[in-house]
Amino acid sequence: MIRVRINDRELNANPGDLLLEIARREGIYIPSLCYLKNGSVPEKPCGLCVVKVAGEGIVRSCSYKVEREIEVSTEDPEVNAIRKKILEGLVSNHYGDCKAPCHTPCPGGLNIQGYIGFIAKGDFKASLALIKERLPLPASVGRVCPRFCEPVCRRALVDEAVAINNLKRFVADYCMENGELPLEVPPLNGKKVAIVGGGPAGLSAAYFLRLEGFEVTIFDREKEAGGLLRYGIPAFKLPKDVVKKEVEGILNLGVEFQGGKIWGRDFSLKDLKEAGYGAVLLAIGARKEKLYGFEGEGLAESALKFLLDFGRGEVDNKAYTKKRIGILGCSYTAIELARVLRRLDCEVEVIYPRSRTEVSVPLREIGYAEREGVKFTYVTAPLKLIKGGGFHLTLAKTTLSEKRELKILPETAFEREYDLVFRAWGELPSDEFKAFGDIEAKLELNPDGTIKINSQTMQTSEPWIFAAGDFVHGAKTVIQAVASGRRAANMIASYLESKPFERAAVTVKFDFSRGKRAEEFDSNFLDLFVPSERMHLKEREPVERVRDFEEVLIGFTEEEAFKEANRCLKCGCLGIHKCDFREILIKEDVGVAKSRKKMKYAIQKDHPLIEVDSNKCVACSKCVRSCPYSAIFFSVVNKGTPQEVITFRFTEACVNCGACVDVCPTGALTKKELLIPYSRNQSKPVKSVCTFCGVGCNLTVWVKNGTILEVTGRDLPPNRGYTCVKGRFGWEFYKSKDRLTQPLLRKSINDDFRAVSWEEALDYVAENLLKIRDKYGPEALGFLCSARTSNEENFLMQKLARTIFKTNNVDCPARV
Amino acid sequence: MGTGAACVHFEEILNAELLFLTGTNSTDAHPIVAQKISRALDRGCKLIVADPRRIAFADRANVYLPLRPGSNVPLLNGIAHVIVREGLYNKEFVENYVDNFEAYQHYILSEWDLGRVSRYTGIKPYLIEQAAIMYATSKRALILWGLGLSEHRSGSYGAMAAANLATLCGFWGKPGCGAMPLRGQNNVQGACDMGGLPYVLPGYQSYKDDGVRMRFKEVWKEDLPVVDGKTLPTMLRDALAGKFKALYAMGYDVAMSHGNLGEVWRALSNLEFLVVQDIFMPLSGKYAHVVLPSACVYEKSGTYTNGERRVQFFEKAVNPPGDAKPDWLIITELARKLGFSWNYTSSSEVALEIGKVWQGWGGINHSRLKERGIQWPCLDEDHPGTSILFTTGFPKGKVHLALAKHVPPLEEPNEAFTFTLVTVRNLEHYNIGSMTRRSSSLLNLYPEPLVDINPDDAERLGILEGAKVRVWNNRGEVFYRARLDKRVPKGLVFTDFHFVDALTNLLVSPGLDELMETPEYKVSVVNIEPV
Ligand SMILES: Cc1cc2nc3c(=O)[nH]c(=O)nc-3n(C[C@H](O)[C@H](O)[C@H](O)COP(=O)(O)OP(=O)(O)OC[C@H]3O[C@@H](n4cnc5c(N)ncnc54)[C@H](O)[C@@H]3O)c2cc1C
Ligand code: SF4
Ligand code: SF4
Ligand code: SF4
Ligand code: FES
Repeated sequence: MIRVRINDRELNANPGDLLLEIARREGIYIPSLCYLKNGSVPEKPCGLCVVKVAGEGIVRSCSYKVEREIEVSTEDPEVNAIRKKILEGLVSNHYGDCKAPCHTPCPGGLNIQGYIGFIAKGDFKASLALIKERLPLPASVGRVCPRFCEPVCRRALVDEAVAINNLKRFVADYCMENGELPLEVPPLNGKKVAIVGGGPAGLSAAYFLRLEGFEVTIFDREKEAGGLLRYGIPAFKLPKDVVKKEVEGILNLGVEFQGGKIWGRDFSLKDLKEAGYGAVLLAIGARKEKLYGFEGEGLAESALKFLLDFGRGEVDNKAYTKKRIGILGCSYTAIELARVLRRLDCEVEVIYPRSRTEVSVPLREIGYAEREGVKFTYVTAPLKLIKGGGFHLTLAKTTLSEKRELKILPETAFEREYDLVFRAWGELPSDEFKAFGDIEAKLELNPDGTIKINSQTMQTSEPWIFAAGDFVHGAKTVIQAVASGRRAANMIASYLESKPFERAAVTVKFDFSRGKRAEEFDSNFLDLFVPSERMHLKEREPVERVRDFEEVLIGFTEEEAFKEANRCLKCGCLGIHKCDFREILIKEDVGVAKSRKKMKYAIQKDHPLIEVDSNKCVACSKCVRSCPYSAIFFSVVNKGTPQEVITFRFTEACVNCGACVDVCPTGALTKKELLIPYSRNQSKPVKSVCTFCGVGCNLTVWVKNGTILEVTGRDLPPNRGYTCVKGRFGWEFYKSKDRLTQPLLRKSINDDFRAVSWEEALDYVAENLLKIRDKYGPEALGFLCSARTSNEENFLMQKLARTIFKTNNVDCPARV
Repeated sequence: MGTGAACVHFEEILNAELLFLTGTNSTDAHPIVAQKISRALDRGCKLIVADPRRIAFADRANVYLPLRPGSNVPLLNGIAHVIVREGLYNKEFVENYVDNFEAYQHYILSEWDLGRVSRYTGIKPYLIEQAAIMYATSKRALILWGLGLSEHRSGSYGAMAAANLATLCGFWGKPGCGAMPLRGQNNVQGACDMGGLPYVLPGYQSYKDDGVRMRFKEVWKEDLPVVDGKTLPTMLRDALAGKFKALYAMGYDVAMSHGNLGEVWRALSNLEFLVVQDIFMPLSGKYAHVVLPSACVYEKSGTYTNGERRVQFFEKAVNPPGDAKPDWLIITELARKLGFSWNYTSSSEVALEIGKVWQGWGGINHSRLKERGIQWPCLDEDHPGTSILFTTGFPKGKVHLALAKHVPPLEEPNEAFTFTLVTVRNLEHYNIGSMTRRSSSLLNLYPEPLVDINPDDAERLGILEGAKVRVWNNRGEVFYRARLDKRVPKGLVFTDFHFVDALTNLLVSPGLDELMETPEYKVSVVNIEPV
């Protein structure tokens, strides 16, 4: 034993131990990219593992054998400077996207590339499960989302963006028909949370809190949950049964919903406290109408109120049929109202003070309304409303001042007559709750009258009261409300379990990007992809659809979804889960702004199972040194300089075992079958054993949401991390559509099988085996064990034969 | 010995000074073993390969013995002949630990002169001498054999003949020594260990032994039958004869994997009741009355035992599809239906029971296996398991030199059928392929059935690379694409049985190993022609 001092720790080591190994054993961080336990040495070491040994200076810890007592520093300024320089060199040679461009703008933070990847693999249920990790209302969002992601989709540079949201809708609808993967719902943990408001924000919070074991009650003024999904957004865009099923899915996890309970009328926060709720989430949305401020505005009807009443079924349709309607404003509320009224055969005009390009709703939505015959009048503002028999509206054109402020041009004033005029300028959160009780009165407000919260923790000025959704940020979108509700749920969980509030680490600084703007993008990279036309949803004929409230857009078929999913360029790195390089950059705080923006090497796709992107290679040569078959030709010249040239080629000797992919510390080598970017700490490593040959390789099966993502070798005898091609790549069978899922039975082998219950099947088996034993004796029966089933199962099978049927007629595939 | 289990672990390959591979193409069938062999050779280990096909390792062999299919016993006895004749055997070991040497010596010297051996094997005597001398004079030699040795009428004798070489030279109980069967499938070792055999109870204990039966009765509370059990081939024969009526097959597709399929199918359709329990509809499903859906390896927990007796735990990763259940649960529920109060609630409870009836598993339980596997025998909780058997002696006191008899293959090429068909496995698939064909990566690598043929034979018959060919005999016909491979000797063809649309086993000879009744998968006569 030798004493080794690393930083401030005294450690024991054996003579000859490698310094790096000693540090690793003790959990002391030393970066390394090229070290392999098998003793192989790279021609050009990465040099990152440098440390300072007192009296000796800088040494590479991966090749330093401890022979005497030494004192080591791993975090010396000199050491850090060396590492930084090496890393900067690597950064400047790196060309890739850590994360897909579509990922960043999605407020829900969905793993878009991943769920599209699952669709491309035909695994729709796993796709939905991945979405539902962060979004419990996929069928709704899949219909109404304004799609923050699609405008930045890289595919748009090749031809047209991937139909991301339509794909989400597809898997959500598919699973509504065909069932979802089961969720693990934990038992209640005894802590209670009240949620006021059962819209997307409140429902999402309930979903995530319940999945963490909290007992959740939602209080809502309406009879049914869903908020604006149920009562605001009309059925032709979002069918009521879709909302209903989606809401039920959440409530069925064991979330209590109390409808018809109005905060401020039926209960106050004090009541909730007294009832034992440890935390409350306020998510009552934005219901205060925005006003424009013109003469007679109060005479106009409220569009929101109309829509809500209409949603509740409380509108007398006849009173609104075949009218001439003016709608002021171009909010979501305005457009939905316009389209509802077109279905009541009204003549509808939407009046908006700004230009078409400035509307806050997606232009796509305007297109649907236009095709249904809604008339849009832009750059026109109301001046005055007078009520006579009908309504008399004075309007004027607008322009923008130099400061881009809206200016009305009074000289352009003109008149219009309507049967009815609606205000639809959008909604704001209301502050009327201040009057609901003592605790309410204490809740602080922002200067603009909205409730004040800590944007990190989502807490109001009362630490046990949280707020989310439109109620906090004003009228926005469903996905934003969902994201806000999910965040609040996490915070509430931490609060109730007295855990520190987790702060999402900001890692953008370390996200490599191939380029953000089209101008700067390397077109050589885009040339790697063949154009392929985007799939569009079928839209029902306008003349037909304005006659009913049935859904306007028809979802993808399986085939369309599959085709569309295959348009995805898989931008985000599919090796990010194993990327040591990125980890080291984060630890050493080396940003990646100076990364290469030009593609140097074409992506190699000729290997049947492995994709090679040398643009991401750090030239550690681990692949070469791990391959048991010497099947990689690899060379690097001018390593670490801008003139670096890497040559990588698989040779004929390759047997597709995949050892090289698993050991590659970046996304330079990736498995073609893995289409889901994931992180190892958000998936479960399960110990497994290969089910094929008698070697019995130890494997790690990586599982997420009840689905296997990939299989890697496990460092145990006999295989010590290695496997053959079957071990790493032969696991998909478990998902095959051919799996037997129900007991089958028939009286005679000339009949067809009938699916039956286990009860019936086992009764039948028992009855017949006994009958035959009684008639012909035990020697007429035989039982076969398997070379695929476990020891325990084989043991029970022969025990069944010997103890119950009293026969030794037991055999197994020992002869195959 | 006597347990069909490896006496050492795979790692010992690295300690050997000489490796003797016979009837194993581990490159394809046991790839990780092949990696270890490669590494041993890189370090200078010597190599003898005996295989009819010039397998990849033959290129690295010091002596390559291209024997005729089915002549393993003559070859091994020939090698023994040289060792005995030249007095190269380990006299000290033989004196102290071996019995039956006199009889064996007489048998080997009188019956297995190299002239005769050479006639059977087609190998020149000097090569056999070289191999024998190299083997016997090495310090640590390990014989590895595979199904190429066992799937013959004389399969069991082949194994004896191989073990005899190790015995003669005292290559037992030491690092880098021994004779090691490479078990084919992932838990075939475990199935045998667990008593999935007609002749023995779990742990290879004999039900003929009163003491053993008593011990089981203490745990199982039931009397055990003493009537000899039937092997599967016997069951099938009896089914054809109308004497055997019901079969319950768990995870074993007899109708695809057994040799001489035509007869198997007739036997199965003659049953009154057939239950199959599987993850996919097996071919046997065609003859079944009840099909029970079971969970696959990722959907349950349990243990497998690999070819070096290493008991390894696998953990449940995902849920089974639909109503499918783990096999242990199905059997447990069936037992309850049959009026027995089995109440296992997990496979780990079953594991504990195994340890109660078999001392070799005494110290094995799931909680100990969470990190790493244990090689049985493992006598108690503190026992580390046993990586090398026989370091302290032999179970029955002495090693017996059995007189390994030669039984020629049932079929020999003749005027009507000029080719010999040998079945093998490919790297990308496994056995009947039900799982590997349904894993897209593997299927893409090897999408259709191929038959390997010598290029000269192919040219003579007008068969081009990739051409469709018909392979047939009296038992049936099967279609493949041809792959011309100069590693295949003339007169032989090699193929697998991974594909449903190429049921190679239809063609397999009805020959059975005289002792074990293993079908003679390795020698069947056929013809081949382009279509
Ligand atoms: C007509 C219309 C169309 C829209 N279209 C889209 C679209 O296409 N895409 C998109 O992304 N977004 C759209 N939006 C915006 C989107 O619906 C909202 O941003 C989202 O619903 C906000 O969710 P939330 O949970 O915060 O609030 P809400 O959905 O408003 O839910 C609030 C809930 O609180 C309840 N509540 C209110 N007060 C009380 C009280 N005192 N006591 C008890 N319960 C109370 C309400 O009944 C309701 O159930 C649209 C909005 C409107 C109005
Ligand atoms: S191509 Fe795919 S991964 Fe890339 S931005 Fe578009 S959807 Fe995202
Ligand atoms: S897949 Fe296996 S054989 Fe092929 S290069 Fe990688 S490590 Fe080597
Ligand atoms: S990974 Fe390959 S070598 Fe290992 S047990 Fe499975 S089939 Fe055998
Ligand atoms: S040089 Fe030591 S890990 Fe790379």
